[in-house]
Amino acid sequence: MIEDDIYRTSSQFRLWSFTEASLQSLRATTNATACERVRSDIRKSRDAPQSASSSAAGTPAANPGSDVDSKAGEGSEDDCLTPAEEHQLVQYFCEQIIKLGEMYKPPLPTIVRATATQYLKRFYLTNSPMTYHPKNIMLCALFLATKTDNYYISLNQFAAGVPNDPKPDEIIRFEFLIMQSLRFTFDVRHPFRGLEGGIMELSAILEGLGKPAPHFPSQSPDELKRKLQSLSPPQGVQQGTSVQDRLARAHHGTREILKTAAQMTDAYFLYTPSQIWLAAFMVADRPLADFYLDTKLGGPVDENNKGNPFYELRVKLLRTLTDCANLLQSYTPPVSNQEQKNALRRIQKKLSRLQPRDKPEAVGQKRIPAAATDSGNSESEMERLAKKRKLDGAQANDLFGGELVMQRTKQTQGQQPPP
Amino acid sequence: MPPSRESMQNRGDEDEVCPVCKSSRYLNPDMQFLINPECYHKMCESCVDRIFSSGPANCPVAGCHKTLRKNRFRRQTFEDINVEREVDIRRRVMQILNRREEEFDSKRAWDDFLEQREEIIANLVHGTDVAKTEANLHSYAQANMHSIRANQALEAQEASSFQERQTQEQELARLRREVARQEYENERREMLAGREDVLSRLAAGGPGDAAAIAREGQKVLLKKSSARRSEEERIRQKQAALRGSENKKAGQAALTTADKAGGIGDPSFIKGLKRIKTPEPEKPYDPFGGLAPNKRDYYTLRDYYPSSYLDPLRQNVRAQAGGYDLQEYYSRTLLEAFAGLGCFINEEVAQRDATSSLGATKPVSTEGAAMAASSKSPAESF
Repeated sequence: MIEDDIYRTSSQFRLWSFTEASLQSLRATTNATACERVRSDIRKSRDAPQSASSSAAGTPAANPGSDVDSKAGEGSEDDCLTPAEEHQLVQYFCEQIIKLGEMYKPPLPTIVRATATQYLKRFYLTNSPMTYHPKNIMLCALFLATKTDNYYISLNQFAAGVPNDPKPDEIIRFEFLIMQSLRFTFDVRHPFRGLEGGIMELSAILEGLGKPAPHFPSQSPDELKRKLQSLSPPQGVQQGTSVQDRLARAHHGTREILKTAAQMTDAYFLYTPSQIWLAAFMVADRPLADFYLDTKLGGPVDENNKGNPFYELRVKLLRTLTDCANLLQSYTPPVSNQEQKNALRRIQKKLSRLQPRDKPEAVGQKRIPAAATDSGNSESEMERLAKKRKLDGAQANDLFGGELVMQRTKQTQGQQPPP
Repeated sequence: MPPSRESMQNRGDEDEVCPVCKSSRYLNPDMQFLINPECYHKMCESCVDRIFSSGPANCPVAGCHKTLRKNRFRRQTFEDINVEREVDIRRRVMQILNRREEEFDSKRAWDDFLEQREEIIANLVHGTDVAKTEANLHSYAQANMHSIRANQALEAQEASSFQERQTQEQELARLRREVARQEYENERREMLAGREDVLSRLAAGGPGDAAAIAREGQKVLLKKSSARRSEEERIRQKQAALRGSENKKAGQAALTTADKAGGIGDPSFIKGLKRIKTPEPEKPYDPFGGLAPNKRDYYTLRDYYPSSYLDPLRQNVRAQAGGYDLQEYYSRTLLEAFAGLGCFINEEVAQRDATSSLGATKPVSTEGAAMAASSKSPAESF
């Protein structure tokens, strides 16, 4: 199918599609790496004051020292977030993005909010909330999404809409870090437009304007229309409603699912956008979705339909769509649940103790040269040298700066006697 | 001084007689003999006029039944009619077999070719295997029409460029002579002027500084001449450099044209020709990389879809004027509705991960780098 080949060229498919297992292992690895960092930080901070106190006072250090030791040891063991907790936290902030987007006047478009949500999710695949607090990343992700989705809003305007009035610089500080973690792929394929297309075609069929699918040229507009009109109604709806109303309702229902469940679950990583919207459509109106697929891929799935060239595909697709629909249906808005709220509060409290000791931007800044290229080490070295050179250039009044090697040796010599 | 052709032809042949009309030079001193390369029978100008003015006719010599045309008749170049004939044949064969040395793989192949050509010429001159050789020659000419023509053009070009170069060189030599003469003239005039100057100063000055003035004058003269000489040297060098680069350029041009001029080789006739690599004809550029741009498997696009909120746009002049086309919207939404419907990430990504473990490991490594950086940072900040 040519449309599938077109989708396979997208960065969403190439870089941001995972199986359930690989997604889990990726999150686990990220969590483990971050935990290691946290523990080593704790150990360092524990060692440093201890040595300072022992060298300074010397005498009464024995008992309190062991006390601190035991406390810190206990903290480092179970203070780290588990992957599940991290996931829960990220999900919470995804919801915050949606909410924040609604607070603007006019509200940010759904697509911008959805893109920002996906950015956040993608970001936290390879980064841990323990390293970068989501409340910082979230704002920047949303601002980045307004840019990539072509919805212009100035940074000051954007900052004015955020509660607690953060400084614009604070918001934008993580932008490069995010872009880098997104591997510079900003294209998020959403299911929203696909839904519009499907509804558009269904209403064309309803008006007797349907065109046969390329592989089923025998379909006639009238036949399609008759079939559509004679569909059995979905559960919980009376017989009387017109097909137009039914379409509109299904459209609305699907859209709601796409706006919430599809964003909050891992659907984007596990399924393609067209599968997502069709699964959501299935949730909203099963017979309609089945009918639509039948027009595209031929007859209902049963034994006597095995001659159909797309039988295999249809069966596989049905399985995938059902899985996806189950995933979408499994989502419940977490804020409605007091227990979840409490859990979140606990996680946040834990997190506040785990943030890196040095300022987070320092981590961010350090990281940029290291990860921007694969040969991180030499790059950062280069940058350091360049900076040194610049510094020297400012100091020395030699018009073109001194000789490079000379300058370096001078620098090191100058540094050795500490001021 | 060798005798001119005119006098050579008339020399001592007072009793020469036209074999056709039997009129002799004795009676008609202006008589000219003409030949036709068809049969090389000699006859006088008036005979040619008489017999062939009204179109082609048979040769009047008894036993020769060749049909001759008037326009082919020409003055004989060589006294010996056999030489004349051989030269004609040679010219014709050389025109057809006009391969050049750079078209051959090796020196040996080129020599073989030369020998073959000589053999053909000899065959034609001495009448051995004439029919077969002619046929060969003809078929070769047919097959290699392009390369023959290209080589002819090349030859003509070379000849003309040679001519040009020679005239240029002559011109340059003339200029050089001119300049040298001018120079000599200038030098002489300056010397005279310097001498004049010294004399006048001697006449004006006191008796004491005569020697000094003379020395000074000599020095000035020397300086001038040396300055002039160095200036000339410079100009000469520049000209030489210019000439050298020109020659080089001309050489390169000749080489490229020679390369280009190679035609289709005929392996059965001439051996050892370089294979000419004709570059693969470039395929037309396919911007879609094999995907058919308007072919779809899931849906057939309509020109119009009923929609309550799109319909007003169709009439909206402001939207239309900007180039907004609903057709674009239709095709995009429908494409996105089905793009990836048949991509089962479960299977495909698992397969991809299995073949290359790049996708899973790379982000982890960046995380590792971040960690390394962050763990290093406290140490640096102390």
